[in-house]
Amino acid sequence: MSLSTLFADYSQFRHRHPDGDVPHNPYKWAMAIDLDACSGCNACAVACYAENNLPVVGREKFSHGQAMHWMRIERYWDEDGREFPDQGARFLPMLCQQCEAAPCETVCPVGATNHTPDGLNSQVYNRCIGSRYCSSNCPYKVRYFNWWDYPTTDNVWPAEMNMQLNPDVTVRSKGVMEKCTFCMQRLRQAESDAKTQGRLVHDGEVQTACQQACPTSAISFGNLVDPESKVHKQWRAQQVDLDKHEQAKDEEPGGSDLRGYRIYEFLAPYPSIMYLERVRETEI
Amino acid sequence: MNNEFDRRDFLKVLGWSGTAAALSGCGNGMVENGKETVVSYVETNDYMIPSVSVYFNSTCAQCDAGCSIMGRVREGRVLKLEGNPNSAINRGKTCGLGQAGVQHHYNPDRVREPLLRTGDQGEAVTWDKAYALIADKLKGVSGEEIAFLTGGVSGHLKVLLGNYLDSFGCKNHFVYEAIAPAVVRAANKKSYGVEMPRFNINKAKVVLSFGADFLGAWVSPVHFSQQYAQFRKGVNGQRGVLVQIESKMTITGANADRWLVVRPGTEGILALGIINALGSHGVTIPGDVASAVKGYGKERVSKDTGVSAEQIDKIAALLKARTPSLVLVGNAAEGYAHGSQNAAAINLLNQVLGNVGKTVEAPAIVPFPQMAPATGNTASLKTLNDGLAAGKYKVLFSYAANPVFTAPGAMKFRDNMAKAGFKVAFAHYLDETAMQADLVLPLDSALEDWGTQVPEYMAEGAQINIQQPLMETLHPDTRGMGDILLALIKQRRAEEYKKFDDFYGYLRSAVLNNKSALGSGSIADDDIFWNETLSKGIVKLPGAAHASLSVKSGVAGLALPQPAAIDAQYPFQLIPHVTGSLRDGRHTNQPWLQESPDPMTTIVWDSWVEIHPKRAAELGIQEGDIVEVTGKNGSVKVQAYLFPGIHPDAISIPLGRGHEAMGRYAKGYGVNPFQILDMVFDKETGELALHETRVKISKTGERVIVVKDEGPVGGKQLGQKIVPLMTTDKVNLSKEI
Repeated sequence: MSLSTLFADYSQFRHRHPDGDVPHNPYKWAMAIDLDACSGCNACAVACYAENNLPVVGREKFSHGQAMHWMRIERYWDEDGREFPDQGARFLPMLCQQCEAAPCETVCPVGATNHTPDGLNSQVYNRCIGSRYCSSNCPYKVRYFNWWDYPTTDNVWPAEMNMQLNPDVTVRSKGVMEKCTFCMQRLRQAESDAKTQGRLVHDGEVQTACQQACPTSAISFGNLVDPESKVHKQWRAQQVDLDKHEQAKDEEPGGSDLRGYRIYEFLAPYPSIMYLERVRETEI
Repeated sequence: MNNEFDRRDFLKVLGWSGTAAALSGCGNGMVENGKETVVSYVETNDYMIPSVSVYFNSTCAQCDAGCSIMGRVREGRVLKLEGNPNSAINRGKTCGLGQAGVQHHYNPDRVREPLLRTGDQGEAVTWDKAYALIADKLKGVSGEEIAFLTGGVSGHLKVLLGNYLDSFGCKNHFVYEAIAPAVVRAANKKSYGVEMPRFNINKAKVVLSFGADFLGAWVSPVHFSQQYAQFRKGVNGQRGVLVQIESKMTITGANADRWLVVRPGTEGILALGIINALGSHGVTIPGDVASAVKGYGKERVSKDTGVSAEQIDKIAALLKARTPSLVLVGNAAEGYAHGSQNAAAINLLNQVLGNVGKTVEAPAIVPFPQMAPATGNTASLKTLNDGLAAGKYKVLFSYAANPVFTAPGAMKFRDNMAKAGFKVAFAHYLDETAMQADLVLPLDSALEDWGTQVPEYMAEGAQINIQQPLMETLHPDTRGMGDILLALIKQRRAEEYKKFDDFYGYLRSAVLNNKSALGSGSIADDDIFWNETLSKGIVKLPGAAHASLSVKSGVAGLALPQPAAIDAQYPFQLIPHVTGSLRDGRHTNQPWLQESPDPMTTIVWDSWVEIHPKRAAELGIQEGDIVEVTGKNGSVKVQAYLFPGIHPDAISIPLGRGHEAMGRYAKGYGVNPFQILDMVFDKETGELALHETRVKISKTGERVIVVKDEGPVGGKQLGQKIVPLMTTDKVNLSKEI
């Protein structure tokens, strides 16, 4: 097999989830983020700190690139060389894309990061040995390593601050990798409640912390295999298919007039987050 | 239920009834009484299920917008704050500042006991001693010799404070919010007849904003953010268009379809230029307005403002084609000696475009005027400062304001404050002002205290927000501000107030006395109504009257000065930037906010000065150079950041950092631009003109690595499809879900 055939039909050779005989059932958690609504205000990121016991690392460690923000806002400028950015900036909320064929999973020497039946890319903290291969292999750079033992580090969670820690979320110790979980503690709670009541989680029943805070409601989240969910409808309307690394709509002459896209789709990680392109007015 | 319960017992009863209020800790006794007995969860209180969270409604106190919150409480601890979906203000949403409210509550640097200073010595004292001391110091002092400084206050706390001051015949209540839109309020009052009308961004097809950072830090950002999201979706797929005009890009500017950099201070000229251009596009302009804008042809305006004539034409054409529109005036336009004139000129646009009554509407008013928010800014502080300098005041109280940090250094507030005989600070932290006080009284956090709040910006119908404790007090010796005021007023009017054991009792009785006016409807029972009120966290008053707009042509007296010439000695205009997370610096000790990157620069934990890359190149300044920013009133040394979204004749430093006290996460990080502001005031209102400071910059030769989130490539996509743009002529929004 030549390299070009490999690239042309990469998706056939790539191990991915779900396998044909084990479909996502009954859940596949996914997101859609509307960049035309996102204002870049950072509320999502702070909400994530509050929900997921993220340590505040301080100025020095931040300068070494050791920030632990599972959700971060990236700011981009237009690259047309104008003197002033007179069409504003572009903001991008970046978090783990919960890839279906996650590049991080295949390189973990101990299988600490792998796929869950409901479509999450999970990180098993007590299996992780801290090789950090996963972080190297992540195209989105959304994995964060515990270089320090934050619970015992001065002024991370000093007395009283520690009382805010979310008891549903593990406080991670030194030497393990961590990342966005799509607020797995909330998902598990909702899934378990639904199961107890003999039903499925209905759309809107569970929100991620970032989605719940977002002042412009730019983030929608839900079960992609539930035809009634907003996320499912949005993905359908935007003609973005989870298991494709090239979307048919992009092949149309002149490009599509739909806004949905996934970042680095061509790498075939099959990300579970669809973004909706930012829009700019032409009349002004 | 009656007043014989002590407050915390009362909470438990309410919790037990399953409708409202906070939970106790894990024992039967009180931690603070030293009587706690640990009882296993095998025998929990009836209302508490281990590992199950309960949400209680309250009101966010991180700013004055009045967002309703739900506190997630588990095993007696509040863990997280979410927005309350039933509030018309925030509809279930919160901002980053609001999220950090729990770090105000759990902050390790909170003041925990009353502190008394004698000379250089400080000691902890009991509350009895503190109250006795205040009574002693007030003995024989007349009402004119007392000054009470507060931040924005409203609701029953304001009522109680008013009654306390009345008991002395004292009229010296000074309200000071350093970054409040005081000039815009006055201008709105003139233009529309109300200080703060309702703005319907969601009903506008075009929003033309002159420096109103409504997505970041202006007035009610969470509310406006939701309106903005609707505005972007538009009607029938026609998306709303945002044009932002300012000298330094805010996050609202960063989201604009067209961001226009304007020469600092010429916003009013541009507004008149746009009216003039509207006239030439065939919009009917009233005669007096037409003659007022006659001299503002687009060539002249373009020359003055730096905005091209072609762009002015485009704006006029767009405003004509798409109605209704909405014109907003924010703090970037009001911060000049002619700020009132700027604001009046900009408000004139709304009148010319016929937006008043459509996108600018009359606000609902809470039918209890005594509870309406007290507002004020530096004009009020200046009166206090002059009085202090003249030695007029024997006793000074300070609550929810930190003027030693936020007043311009040239005001010498710190020195003047020392002239008051006895200074009492009610404080959460030992901030700069508390450090100068003789007596510091520690306050309960906003998540431990009772209160009511009336928002200044009323979103839809009138509403009164309820603040209730989300958990027991963390520290045994802090008190609620209402409780302290009640104790103080009892020193004066014991008979009248003896029926209230605490502020809770006062609040409850005040609410129940006005039950029917508060919409109790068919609920006759006091307890049921009270519990419902607490469990909702909001009292909505759908029947409340609306203020009436009285539109006056703002043409009379409108005189805009020529743009200021560049001062050869101080060539730059300093723009002190209000960021959404740090604002005036009262929450800088919340580490999530310190580590939350500034949206525009991604810088954390430090201050910076923004310089346009072109100007930086001329001056040989690179990113990370430590530059000295010098004005007539002092200088600061700060790292440079090259920022394309700023006028080349302006530089900008964010407010909120540069604390010398307050706590471990605030002290020693960054610089405080408040300290170097020039004492220039708006000519009509007497408010501080925040943007009128002129400075020069010089390199110090030092350089640091800027601590920021963005990588070395700095905001470039390098040909990848990371954040693509689509244009409105291509996209079809009506097809979207």
